[in-house]
Amino acid sequence: MEIRPILSSLMRNKTGPILVALQVALSLAILANALHIVGERRAAAARPSGIDDEQAVFAIDVNHLRSDGPEQELATQNREIATLRAVPGVVSVANVGQLPMSNSGWNTSVAIERKQTRESAVASTYTVADSLVQTWGLRLAEGRDFAPGEFIDVPMGSRETPRAVIVARALAAKLWPGQPAVGKTLYIGMGEEAMAIPVVGVIERLQDHSARIDERGEFSIIVPTREYGANGGAIYTMRAAPGQRERVIRDAEAALRNASPGPVILKIRTVDELRKKRYRADMALSWTLVVVSVLLLLITAGGIVGMASLWVNQRRKQIGVRRALGAKKSDIVRYFILENVLITSAGVFGGVLLGVGLNQLLVSRLEMARLPLGYLALGALVFWVLGIVAAYGPAWRAAGISPALATRSA
Amino acid sequence: MFAYYFKLGVRSLRRNPVLTVLMVLTLAVGVAASVSTLAILHMMSGDPIPQKSTRLLAPVFDTRPAENFDPAGERPDEQLTYIDAGNLLKSGQGVRRTAMYGTAVVIEPPEKSLQPFWVEGMAPTRDFFAMFDVPFLHGQAWSEADDTRGADVVVLSREIAEKLYGDANPIGRQVRLLDAPFTVVGVIDKWAPQPRFYSLQSGNKFGVSEDLFIPFATAIRHKTSLNGGISCSARTDPGFEGILRSECTWLQFWFELESSADRADLQTWLDNYAAEQRKLGRLKRSTPNALYDVPEWLVQMNVVGKDNKLSAWLAFGFLALCLVNTIGLLLAKFSVRASEVGIRRALGASRKDIFRQFLTESAVIGLAGGVLGLLLAFGALALLSMQSRAIAAVARMDLSMLAVTFVLSVLAALLAGLLPTWRACQVTPAIQLKSQ
Amino acid sequence: MLRMSNLSKVYRTHMIETHALRRFEIAVKAGEFVTVTGPSGSGKTSFLNIAGLLEEFTSGEYILDGVNVKGLDDAARSRLRNEKLGFIFQGFNLIPDLNLFDNVDVPLRYRGFNARERKERIEDALAKVGLASRMKHYPAELSGGQQQRVAIARALAGSPRLLLADEPTGNLDTQMARGVMELLEEINAAGTTILMVTHDPELAVRTHRNVHIIDGQVSDLVRRAPSLADAGVPA
Repeated sequence: MEIRPILSSLMRNKTGPILVALQVALSLAILANALHIVGERRAAAARPSGIDDEQAVFAIDVNHLRSDGPEQELATQNREIATLRAVPGVVSVANVGQLPMSNSGWNTSVAIERKQTRESAVASTYTVADSLVQTWGLRLAEGRDFAPGEFIDVPMGSRETPRAVIVARALAAKLWPGQPAVGKTLYIGMGEEAMAIPVVGVIERLQDHSARIDERGEFSIIVPTREYGANGGAIYTMRAAPGQRERVIRDAEAALRNASPGPVILKIRTVDELRKKRYRADMALSWTLVVVSVLLLLITAGGIVGMASLWVNQRRKQIGVRRALGAKKSDIVRYFILENVLITSAGVFGGVLLGVGLNQLLVSRLEMARLPLGYLALGALVFWVLGIVAAYGPAWRAAGISPALATRSA
Repeated sequence: MFAYYFKLGVRSLRRNPVLTVLMVLTLAVGVAASVSTLAILHMMSGDPIPQKSTRLLAPVFDTRPAENFDPAGERPDEQLTYIDAGNLLKSGQGVRRTAMYGTAVVIEPPEKSLQPFWVEGMAPTRDFFAMFDVPFLHGQAWSEADDTRGADVVVLSREIAEKLYGDANPIGRQVRLLDAPFTVVGVIDKWAPQPRFYSLQSGNKFGVSEDLFIPFATAIRHKTSLNGGISCSARTDPGFEGILRSECTWLQFWFELESSADRADLQTWLDNYAAEQRKLGRLKRSTPNALYDVPEWLVQMNVVGKDNKLSAWLAFGFLALCLVNTIGLLLAKFSVRASEVGIRRALGASRKDIFRQFLTESAVIGLAGGVLGLLLAFGALALLSMQSRAIAAVARMDLSMLAVTFVLSVLAALLAGLLPTWRACQVTPAIQLKSQ
Repeated sequence: MLRMSNLSKVYRTHMIETHALRRFEIAVKAGEFVTVTGPSGSGKTSFLNIAGLLEEFTSGEYILDGVNVKGLDDAARSRLRNEKLGFIFQGFNLIPDLNLFDNVDVPLRYRGFNARERKERIEDALAKVGLASRMKHYPAELSGGQQQRVAIARALAGSPRLLLADEPTGNLDTQMARGVMELLEEINAAGTTILMVTHDPELAVRTHRNVHIIDGQVSDLVRRAPSLADAGVPA
């Protein structure tokens, strides 16, 4: 391997190699960070919400324009639930207060002891009049679902402590680390007026209504209460039989309109849509970064090919001389590939440093996450391979230069 | 001379089309990426109401309880309680003032053929329209009397008025909202300040404005529910009345001053008000009371998202790569012309002449890159707009960004061309003439 | 050492055929110092390229040091070139970005010698041409004559059987040219066969034998004889 003479020759003619190495360095720095961000966003968007088979689940928002009073509202809601249950293809219905990933819902301070002055956590609160465990297919890790007697209807204007609460596992681990949560008491609010509720079950996972990226994204609780009388509308979440969601939606809508005496406004939200909407910006950024990464690779490859071709052209005579002195075609190819590998390596080295520096900037100014070394290693590998592949064409052309060039007059 | 160099530059581009295409394309792609992200940032951070942005001020109190106080970890609460909003409205401070909250309302169209539908609405006091320079197409804001007693009057947006009444002037007509007949008193013209600075706490930060405005007092009277965020940090009595009496924050408030010099006076008044409230047992924390004018408000509310900043940084890094790449390409292009340079020099061109010629050639590439880059940028912005209406409102180019595109492209090309041009100048006449 | 029989070289470009060499015959014995002369366009360069395995020939036979060159693939030709031949060019053809040591090193790298052996050979060769002290210098820092000496060192470092020289003194002034010729004669005296192309008649006279090419064929075989100058025969 003729590394030393190649290096010495490169040193004498630094401009070209520096330009190529610089391109590789810039590309690697940007690529590593970009791919890292893509990975992060995709991972965030792929997090399970806790709802089993999201394809089959949707929600109908119902708003009646005329109200005949709180008791009538309650009766109407119960009637509507019965109507929906009767629609063929409906597996389960639940009257719920909010949906995960919807960016719309309630956060509540919770504590584990009444005398606390600082909250233990903030939990997203799902109020429900039926079984969410059943409709959403939530997995129980401990304890049980609500019993029929635990559901209460609370008229607007009054306050009643829920009879039970189901807690998401992440929240349970935060509140009572290392201990079973079932049987413990959860306090909503703090101090004198806090509501003490016994924990009856722990579910594996239920994302909060904002699907936050950090640990709080899974701090959720479910309480078996329903507030009525504010004429604020109701949300019915439903699970359709597999493959029948569209038809069930149409039938459910029709059934509700038929069953409603006065004008009613219906809005359908499928869990798919909620997920797409929640992560739309992240996905857009992801795609943009992927496009930029591909362009980066193309441009850098083009730069390497261009430079290598230029050098081959400028050194035609020299290549002929080498051939005259006994270099085989493969020796010439090897020379150019080696030369390019040296330059690419310098670029990779610079790129790793730049990449870490860029990441540092992103971490400090934009609160992004730290770059795992794996991305830099992967990026380095990609550019090494790219350098070799891009140099092959010009190297092959160089090998084709006739040794007779050596004897042509200078 | 410059025209001569320009012509030479254009001709030289045609001689090696592959290399030219590569150079122009690389530059264009880099410029397009930078310009499109820059355009979005520009729109996002632009002053939405430059004629009075330093005279509009938003007050912020901390009404949360003394317990659970974590000054480092918490975000300030930028909304107001009903109690404070009411007091500030009665204060008479500033030239004008307005309190508001966002609501979502179902409209029952007069045409029975149209189904009832939801609209996003705002419930401000009447000064809102004058304070934010909202243009009217028909009619005007409701009267003071209507404002005070909470009459059932409504101002519609142009789109909704057209949807309900076609081209007819709807002033005086009735429309059913909130289970009551409302009279239309005004229709506003197209009004969509970017960002929606007046109500950043609720709804999108960008995009379209509200479709419907009803008086603040009216919304309260109808107990219209909030379409936005509400934060209750102390025990609250249940029901709508409970919220009005409580320390829950859910309202937005703005003052308009005669001149920005009056700000200090307003601050003083605010601090005095807070001191009074403290004596009444409210405002238990000692956080300083804040006032933000519009530009400060945009910063406080983090209007330019981190993702947009990230995109802009990466785009400029990408442009840097394209620049280095272009340097290489230009070096290649100019180096094969060494004999031409030698001949020109032998025929009397000075180093400066060669410098000007080749730099002009770089500029020609910059112009071509600018044109292509502009097209690509439009394409990129169109693609980005497909995301959401909020993004579509800011993913656009104004005249200044158009100019920036060309300036950026030409500057980048010139920068890239400096080294290769300098190299070209170094060619001495004698040696080159000897070569074949 | 070297024998060509009935060798032809035809260049075909578009519709034009050029016969550079026709039924060319030459035989060079080991240890000889032979010059090849001829007017421009006579085929000297083609002959040298073929002799040096830099080009292929159209027909005929070429045997180099006992090896029949016909049918050898490029790799074999390169190896043969590397091991048996040494080149000296008119334009020196040193690689400008490498210092003298690395320039002489180039053919040795393709030979597969290890680092120690290469170092020995390079130092020996540069010493032989009197430039050992300037090993780390670059070609641009040397005069024409010195550069040619380095080229000779490069040609010698691999202990070739045959040295091919193409107008080695063409770019040198009289004094430097004389120095280079003396060096070549020393090398030949030490046992290396030399085949030199030149159009300088004075040089042709100094060697054992001169082969004259006109129109791609050998025209005169003139033995080096003391009476040549007297005979007035152009060489």
